[in-house]
Amino acid sequence: MALAGLSLEQAPPLSVPLRFFLTAPLFAFLAALLLLFSGPTALASRWSPALLAATHLLTLGFITMSMMATLLQMLPVLAGAAVKQPRLVAWLVHVPLSAGTLLLASGLAAGWKIGMLASLPLLAWAMLTFILVAAYSLARTEARNATINAMRLALGALAITALLGLTLAAILAGHAALPALKLTDLHAAWGLLGWVGVLIIGVAYQVVPMFQMTPAYATRITAWLAPWFFIMLLIWSITVWWAEDNAKWVALTGLAPGLIGFALATLSLQRKRRRRAPDITSQFWRMGMASLLAASGIWLVAQFSPALSAAAFYPLWLGMLWIVGFAMSVINGMLYKIVPFLVWLHLQSRRPARGAIPNTKEIIPDKMARRQLRAHGAALALLLCAAVLPNPLVYMAAAVWCVSCALLAWNVFSAYRLYHRLAA
Amino acid sequence: MTPAEILLDARDLEPPEPLELTLAALDELQPDQRLRLLLPREPYPLYGILDRNGYQHETERHPDGYFAILIWR
Repeated sequence: MALAGLSLEQAPPLSVPLRFFLTAPLFAFLAALLLLFSGPTALASRWSPALLAATHLLTLGFITMSMMATLLQMLPVLAGAAVKQPRLVAWLVHVPLSAGTLLLASGLAAGWKIGMLASLPLLAWAMLTFILVAAYSLARTEARNATINAMRLALGALAITALLGLTLAAILAGHAALPALKLTDLHAAWGLLGWVGVLIIGVAYQVVPMFQMTPAYATRITAWLAPWFFIMLLIWSITVWWAEDNAKWVALTGLAPGLIGFALATLSLQRKRRRRAPDITSQFWRMGMASLLAASGIWLVAQFSPALSAAAFYPLWLGMLWIVGFAMSVINGMLYKIVPFLVWLHLQSRRPARGAIPNTKEIIPDKMARRQLRAHGAALALLLCAAVLPNPLVYMAAAVWCVSCALLAWNVFSAYRLYHRLAA
Repeated sequence: MTPAEILLDARDLEPPEPLELTLAALDELQPDQRLRLLLPREPYPLYGILDRNGYQHETERHPDGYFAILIWR
């Protein structure tokens, strides 16, 4: 298509957003590899060094890495709030986040105190830079919508998570005497429910209707869900700290209904898709919502069932369903829309001499994405089984998971390679 | 005789089709013509493209939730 004389958005080079999306699957691969080499001992408890390391490889290296890049991409589109100096911001966030995550994970896995301590300034730097840049853009925009509000709350939750993480590291290093168990629960809740959960909810308001061709979320949901959830998280945290026995009531009446409502609303929107053809992203999201429902359901039951909450597999199931089943599925599905779109947009503005610009559906072929979807689903199912019977299932689960992450990395990388071939 | 206004209803299309069709329609747009673009959301990135390429534009928000963007030279 000839775009006579039209200059497109002066977007930063493709490598600016894509470095995040190329690195993220590698961190997930490392987590799967760590599980493969640690074997059943990794799943002995939620406190096993290998599991703590794998969790941070996933939450920082995969989830936070790709959510930060998504947010930086969405701000200009949603809010008309362009991020100043995108190249510099990408360097200042991506390098310390990658290095800090690697150091933290090695520190946790090997009990290497220096590595863990060295990771802290790097991670703090990456978080602070990102939060300041995003908050500045969000503060300047005149656009008002539920997604922007959710992004503000998610940023707040990220700051709280980071502060709690720093405090925990200080406790582990012997520099602070505070109840570490409670703080770990708060750190995990603010990271997983606040930063990851609230941000996915806010982003879903945009990407589900936009990319999955569904009707919009009802205003009665978008207007209150993220703020309600954030406030409930605050109340829950205060209750956990000072009146732990009552925390389950907040979970029951405040947090779980919000999550279940969001999952059901999303699934019901997906049933109203305007296009009937099966779509990989929609299938990833369906898996994500089913995992969210399962995680919320198990969590609810455990509040009243001492047998379940004491079971060794219970915390593992919660983590696996939330991190691998919910967050990773949703992000993975989103990558299959965002990456081809970015490649397409940059090809448009380069107007390559050779040949026509491929359609977004040709940039990552459905066949390749579907293969990875199946591997991801199988890995999730096997991980859940391995939590109950670590030996020998953990090896199978980790091996399939390695394949899934490697396929994802390959799919994103081949989109980038296609861009270079056509733009050259 | 060319019509004074061209209508492009991109409300039911998956990105990046709306942008693709809009850019194609702008290529064809005659100096005395206007393009009316219907979208489910406000296209902030498009405004940048229009401003840089010397197009005028005006956005109306419709009560049933969609946006109409009027574009001319």
